[in-house]
Amino acid sequence: MHISKLQLVNYRNFSRADVLFKPGINTIIGENGSGKTNLFRAIRLLLDDNLLRAAYRLDKGDFHRGLGDWRGHWIIISLEFDNVSKDEAIQSLFLHGSGNIKDSDIGRATYNLIFRPKASVRAALAELEEGDEAGLAEVLSTVTIADYETIFTGKSEADFTDPVVYTALVGDFETVRFPEAAYPPEIGGKIPGIMAISKEVCFTFVQALRDVVADFQNNRANPLLTLLKSKSGKIDPADFVPITTMVEKLNTAIEGLPDVTTIRSDIRTTINDAAGETYSPNSLSIKSDLSHEADRLFQSLKLFVGEAEPGYEGAIHELSLGGANLIYLTLKLLEFKYQKAKQSFANFLVVEEPEAHIHTHIQKTLFDKLNYSDTQIIYSTHSTHISEVCNVENINVLGRNAGLCEVFQPSTGLTVEEVGNIQRYLDAVRSNLLFAKSVVLVEGDAEEILVPILIKKVFGVSLDELGVSLINIRSTGFTNVAVLFHDQRIRKRCAIVTDLDDAFIDTSPDPQDGDAEKKAKASAVAAQTSGLQRKATLAAFTKGNNWLSTHFADYTFEVDFLINGANAAKVVSILGEVYKSAATIATAKAELESKDIAVSGTRMLTMAKHMGKGWFAILLGKVVDHHTIVPDYILDAVFMAHGTPSTEVWANILAYRIGLQEKDGVAGPAAVAAARGTLKTYRDGGMDFAAMRNAMLQALPGDELNEVLASF
Amino acid sequence: MFVWPPGDLNPEQEAAIKEPGSVFLVACPGSGKTRTLTYKVARLLSTLTSEKQWVIAITYTHRAADEIEERVERLGVGTAQLWIGTIHSFCLDWIIRPYAIYHPDLRDGFKVIDSHDAEVLLTELCAPYASQRVTYWDCGYHFTPAGRVLSCETKKRAAVGAILDRYHQRLKANRQLDYELILQCAYDLIVKNPTIGVLLNSLLTAVLVDEYQDTKEIQYAILAEILKAGDRKTAAFVVGDPNQAIYGSLGGYAITAAQFGAIANVNFREMELSQNYRSSKRIVGYFANYNVHATKIEAAAKHKDHVSLISFDTKTSKDELEGELIRLIRHSAETLGIPHHEICIVAPQWVHLAGMTRRLVAAMPDYRFDGPGMVPFARDIDNFWYKLSRIVLTEASPGMYVRRLRWAAEVLTALDDAGANVSDLSRKTLLRECNSVSLVEQDGLTYLRQFFDLLFARIGIDYCKFPALLDHHQAFFESSTARIARLTKEGAAFISDIATFRRVFETRSGITLSTIHGVKGAEFDTVIAYALLEGMVPHFADAAGDISANKLLYVIASRAKKHLHLIAERGRMRGGGRGEYEATRVLAVCGFTYDVVP
Repeated sequence: MHISKLQLVNYRNFSRADVLFKPGINTIIGENGSGKTNLFRAIRLLLDDNLLRAAYRLDKGDFHRGLGDWRGHWIIISLEFDNVSKDEAIQSLFLHGSGNIKDSDIGRATYNLIFRPKASVRAALAELEEGDEAGLAEVLSTVTIADYETIFTGKSEADFTDPVVYTALVGDFETVRFPEAAYPPEIGGKIPGIMAISKEVCFTFVQALRDVVADFQNNRANPLLTLLKSKSGKIDPADFVPITTMVEKLNTAIEGLPDVTTIRSDIRTTINDAAGETYSPNSLSIKSDLSHEADRLFQSLKLFVGEAEPGYEGAIHELSLGGANLIYLTLKLLEFKYQKAKQSFANFLVVEEPEAHIHTHIQKTLFDKLNYSDTQIIYSTHSTHISEVCNVENINVLGRNAGLCEVFQPSTGLTVEEVGNIQRYLDAVRSNLLFAKSVVLVEGDAEEILVPILIKKVFGVSLDELGVSLINIRSTGFTNVAVLFHDQRIRKRCAIVTDLDDAFIDTSPDPQDGDAEKKAKASAVAAQTSGLQRKATLAAFTKGNNWLSTHFADYTFEVDFLINGANAAKVVSILGEVYKSAATIATAKAELESKDIAVSGTRMLTMAKHMGKGWFAILLGKVVDHHTIVPDYILDAVFMAHGTPSTEVWANILAYRIGLQEKDGVAGPAAVAAARGTLKTYRDGGMDFAAMRNAMLQALPGDELNEVLASF
Repeated sequence: MFVWPPGDLNPEQEAAIKEPGSVFLVACPGSGKTRTLTYKVARLLSTLTSEKQWVIAITYTHRAADEIEERVERLGVGTAQLWIGTIHSFCLDWIIRPYAIYHPDLRDGFKVIDSHDAEVLLTELCAPYASQRVTYWDCGYHFTPAGRVLSCETKKRAAVGAILDRYHQRLKANRQLDYELILQCAYDLIVKNPTIGVLLNSLLTAVLVDEYQDTKEIQYAILAEILKAGDRKTAAFVVGDPNQAIYGSLGGYAITAAQFGAIANVNFREMELSQNYRSSKRIVGYFANYNVHATKIEAAAKHKDHVSLISFDTKTSKDELEGELIRLIRHSAETLGIPHHEICIVAPQWVHLAGMTRRLVAAMPDYRFDGPGMVPFARDIDNFWYKLSRIVLTEASPGMYVRRLRWAAEVLTALDDAGANVSDLSRKTLLRECNSVSLVEQDGLTYLRQFFDLLFARIGIDYCKFPALLDHHQAFFESSTARIARLTKEGAAFISDIATFRRVFETRSGITLSTIHGVKGAEFDTVIAYALLEGMVPHFADAAGDISANKLLYVIASRAKKHLHLIAERGRMRGGGRGEYEATRVLAVCGFTYDVVP
């Protein structure tokens, strides 16, 4: 049996979310604040027996903030289990409460926590006339969290995250239509009072980084004590007799120490002196109170670990933080093993951010090996090292979009082959794209190196700040990865940047052509043909998918860079690092400055080839500055991925440009002051974008950014 | 494992308890059936290996359930994994509530109709048939797996059928279930969803059935679905006495081990309890005359050689009956020194008893009587407010603590089922809240009404918001008001007093007056029975006639430990000028040398 689905409705930062799970290892990936901890909290509310009962009583703060007014709404946390079998006796009680009977069999089970207004409130809502908004407001105005109840149900059929289903169950706050308060069968049957599902399954939760050393010193949280407690109860009393005898001997020996007997008689004498014989206690002794009970004695056991120096074992607090974390995780896993041995029809291990516990190099291997049978493991991570090793089919990606958290399953609807391709492409670096807010895919090192520099130098903000991840596919196999971005899968924007490879030399055959020229022409023609094919393929691939866009360099990245604005001068400035010979440098300079693209383009590519595209890009990167012109197709891609820049982003970019103008002395103090004033008004909301743009274009007429600004 | 000191049980009882497989146990009267069940339950509970296993005991009454559970607890065995109750409660708790969403009539919620409300509804539906003299009393029915069975006379069948059709339509429209529908729905659910049987089979280690002889076909069928499902791991322990099958008109019958074994796919070991520890040899010898199933009975009581008086009186007239009863009571109590609570007066029907109770109360002021004319409110055990009044009307005392705690648990479950949120309430806090309400009101019903309001204000639940509670509230007070009005009119002015209310739940201290059916399971030193007339014993509509009469007489006679007085009074007239009722034929022909009460 395994958890196949978690549905969250109105819970914390989830408005509606379906999280899908597979047997075995599952990964929840998401940036910070995307709701990983809340998602785990939801699972724990249903399955973790260690959670205090009071936790089931939810609070106002548990309602999704996007609801606005929470009053009258429900919170629903629903777990679905698959691979259940009515024929295994051990599951019977679980299924008696939660199993969905269908065609005289049970295929799945559901278990839900529903936090909803009590019957009295629901009845008051149901009595409202349709459209009676004033009445609704009046009923809701009196509702407090004390009018809510938590119920647990099983056997539910409803798809809770379907807004239509939710409205049918809860009511429509817009039109003021509320269902009868009776018990709707869709939410399933109440779990019988005789059972607590959390006692039926084995569930262990390992929290993210905490003060592990403090936990070891705290009797309640110490994982070692938990383990020992589970064992001390089972000790055969006969085995323990010799120890008990020794403890008693020890106690007697301590009591018999000369110093102890001396103190005892001194106390006795002093009391007698002070109080007199009549009022003194008639007997007094000092007893050694070492316990001979197994569980008390076990508490004195402590873990010592040798870490650095051979031959020395230190207490936990002497360990490095990483070492202590590793021990902590190990003990938790052992605790899980012990639990699992007790009842084995369903075992769940939930680990929050294991990277918080362990070193990067162990991260990779751990989850390869952490593969218990009959056990479902769910862990959350923002480590690319872990996401690299996990199966993309078992991944849920949490995305945050303007306060709204969404859950994506990146492999929904993909073929085995497509999944295999993704898997091959996602190495530690590329699996970044699973965490990204938006993605730009590029085909080679040149783009990977230069595009971030271009954006940073020209706009003053980095791609990271824009929430754009640039992923180098190192080929033109974009579709293998871009297939992830889809309405059904990851609903984030992905811009594909590639070269059209249009030939910039005359490719018509000339009888004069030597072998080299023939070869160059042939390869230019071939590149042009494959560029056109790629364009057609990508056009077909992205058709109807609003998450994807394609952006083409007319020729090839280096050439398109060269022919924009004064970029050629930048290329010329690095000639000294490309060629040694002055003659070659002079020839190259002349060619690069040629108006004939067949000449300048050919030289550019010759240099890139000569240096290697990556090195060449690094050299170019050094001379890129704010005067550099970013080729349009790159800009399009970045802004397509980022989306329309917000006021804040524009203001930051322009503030940066004003500063540069001021520094370069291009704009006078008056113009700078005027521009800053305009920007402040805009930032404070006193001016719309169009007005600000016009003002800026006038204030700083010479700025290279104006062309970009004007195009928005 | 639970073990008992030697001498606690006789060899027959031990054998039945130690038998690991399914047992079909025929137990003669006074043979320690409850004791055997109690020890069997304790033993089964002590051998459970998992927390996910239950022992189910199905009893005929809630009272019997309470008694067995208390006795098991007194044996020092935890009852956390014991479920004990009536077959209706079993169906509700284990089949209907957990699986209601799979039944079209239940999936949108349901309520159990209060028996008073059912009576009101049926009475209303009978009105158009007044000319055919069809009343509520003709509307008895039950379901079998094959369909609906009516218990009225043949000539009224058409009318009653039509009335019941409308009755069921109304219940369905109101999403209500009566007792028969509870069984019918449970049967539907478990037959249409065999998975339920499979799950229950693996959850229930054993199912014990007490008083099987009064179990209906549909109840056997429901149990059979569980016993034969899945891996057939549930053991059955069926106990009863076919000679005491007196609920035939309601569909109860004594199945045989072979029949039940066949439908439940169970191989029963047939066993018996033949030692009667209750009655003297002479009494045992007497009721053996009515043993139609040839069961084995041996007198084994310590007082088996007691000199018993067994009398049969066919001379006393209807008008002299009261005087004769007084004479017999005084003889037992004053001459023989028998404690009052060891004397019981039995008659076939309530109508004979209610008036007699009040006349005896008036004629014998120094005696106390507990009888049907003495209860001011309807004893509808499934009514929520009845459940609660048990706590309200009893004193908090150490002796009552365990019992009141269990009643509190029932109240909490009922509140939860009604939809109220009881997460903040425990059994103890509920009792504490009950104990802290104080009222000086003398009128019993007003007292209860005020008490309920104060209590619900204290626990912060508005019962008016829960239809099930509100319906029951109305039914409880309406039926009680009607009942008190009737009894007051018949002369029992004291009936409305709070003291009378409280006496209902006190332990028996006076002379018991009961119907034959109501005396089931009880025992008394002296049993006095009257109206033993053909047409009453057996009932004139009873097709089984003499056999039923034998069983009724068997039940009456086997209640007595020492003395038995049977009266077939003269002068009760049959309708339509057919003369007076004669003594019950089976009784009249019994050749026995009766004693004369001096």
